[in-house]
Amino acid sequence: MAKVLMKGNEAMALAAIKGGCDAFFGYPITPQNEIPEYLSYHMEENDRIFVQAESEVAAINMVYGAAGSGARVLTSSSSPGIALKQEGISYMVGSELPAVIINVMRGGPGLGGIQPSQADYNQITRGGGNGDMKIMSFAPETLQETVNIVKESFSLADYYRNPVMIAVDGLIGQMMEPVDIDMPINEKKCPPKDWAATGESAKRGKRNTIVSLHLDPYKLEEHNLKLQKKYDKMIEDEQRYEMINMDSDPNIVLVAYGSMARIARSVIDDLKAEGIEIGMIRPISLFPFPQKAFDALSDKTTTLLTLEMSLGQMLQDVRLASNGRHKIEFFGRTGGVIPESDEIIAKIKSLIKEAK
Amino acid sequence: MKRLVILTGHYGSGKSEIAVNMAIDEKMDMLVDLDIVNPYFRSRSVRSLLESHNVTLVESTLENASGSDLPFISSKGSRPFYDESLRAVFDLAGTKSGAKILKQYDQFINPEAIEFLMVVNIFRMETADANKIIHLIAELEGSAQLKVTGLINNTNLMKETTEATIIEGERVLKEVSSKLNIPIVYTFIEASIKTQYPFAGEVRRLTRHLAKKWL
Repeated sequence: MAKVLMKGNEAMALAAIKGGCDAFFGYPITPQNEIPEYLSYHMEENDRIFVQAESEVAAINMVYGAAGSGARVLTSSSSPGIALKQEGISYMVGSELPAVIINVMRGGPGLGGIQPSQADYNQITRGGGNGDMKIMSFAPETLQETVNIVKESFSLADYYRNPVMIAVDGLIGQMMEPVDIDMPINEKKCPPKDWAATGESAKRGKRNTIVSLHLDPYKLEEHNLKLQKKYDKMIEDEQRYEMINMDSDPNIVLVAYGSMARIARSVIDDLKAEGIEIGMIRPISLFPFPQKAFDALSDKTTTLLTLEMSLGQMLQDVRLASNGRHKIEFFGRTGGVIPESDEIIAKIKSLIKEAK
Repeated sequence: MKRLVILTGHYGSGKSEIAVNMAIDEKMDMLVDLDIVNPYFRSRSVRSLLESHNVTLVESTLENASGSDLPFISSKGSRPFYDESLRAVFDLAGTKSGAKILKQYDQFINPEAIEFLMVVNIFRMETADANKIIHLIAELEGSAQLKVTGLINNTNLMKETTEATIIEGERVLKEVSSKLNIPIVYTFIEASIKTQYPFAGEVRRLTRHLAKKWL
């Protein structure tokens, strides 16, 4: 199909249908309401299931149940709603169930506000729920990239038998951009779901059960080591990132994702026009964090300037990835305030001045 | 142009950008933002720009609360309907849900004084062909209890728009226009696009005020 002009939230909803989503369970919250609104019409048209649950907690447990029966399942929410879903997400990680969770981030903590934010970084990458848990998470920058990742994420969730989170800020959910919804994507080949609890026995005599409760500590430890191997494989195989303007061998490299990367791109262009070359690492996967991008930096790069719509959460991962090789700087706005390119340019210029 | 212009259409058709452009270019007295659906990219977000052009902005009763998506509209929004000295543009939220809000002004509305204009971008899936547009017009008219008096061709793919994009929109809108006998009154074209094509209706150059350059 040719390109159409879509709003981020509706593009993600349609991409989920194209990605083979069988069922959606959710509860409304701004700024992601166009996702359930769109699906409330179009899931039924496509002979799929749509349920508006009575709460986020109910929704995530419906996701848990449907995923356990082998369906491809989606839920969507925004920051405080995702916080409510953490128990269910941890249960799904423990029970090795696939699902796709879209988080259209808004300002926090608590109910916060409805304007865009990236202050869920720690909630997304540091567990959120209890236990030694990790979920794969992707933070796309354009609507085309968002559509492609939403579609692919259903197979990634199935392949790893683990939830996948699409982590966008409110701007990506609300902005409009042309997209080709049918752009081909690479999908992982997934084995049949012979573990699914369908009510029928796969092999005679033994029915599949889904549990996250293991009372024998040695068995639970063994289970955790098995989960850890999956996280290690994600770290090995699924790091995604883009390096921008690195041919110029810049001293200062920005690190930014999502909408913040869009602003950073305009900063790079503006500075280039003034004869100043700045590079950027744009993480696309938040977990696994793209260590490989930082390993690839040349010795010319002395400073990493982390840009976030929060008070500095990815900053910690940038420090770890740099491992002491660079001076680490930070600029961010929070609470729903969108940074202006001028204030970022001023920060960069002050860093250049300091270095002289 | 009549004294009052009410803009309707599907959401994402470009009503708010057009409302802001019209208010400034036509030196309107007032822009009434009746969008109680969208949380971002509303015409109320450019209050200072409008005020610098002497356009009074009417929005929520909670003025300057950009972080609120509560369905409040200031009572000042009804004034242009009975104060005949005012020229105003009304920016509705999309679809029939957005148009329903006009119902509260029923007692003041004189259809003779109003242009009820539908903004269309055929690259929005819900208004991709003549039948879909005609269906939406019927829904919008039913909700608003007003007849659509004109069509605005705002067909675009944002930064990927070419002259051909807009011509394709005009082809579809001409079909709607001849079937329903509603004229195409304006074609909006972003200022950066070079074209000499004789588009239907008045050609207006659009400046994007709501979207930042990196969007």
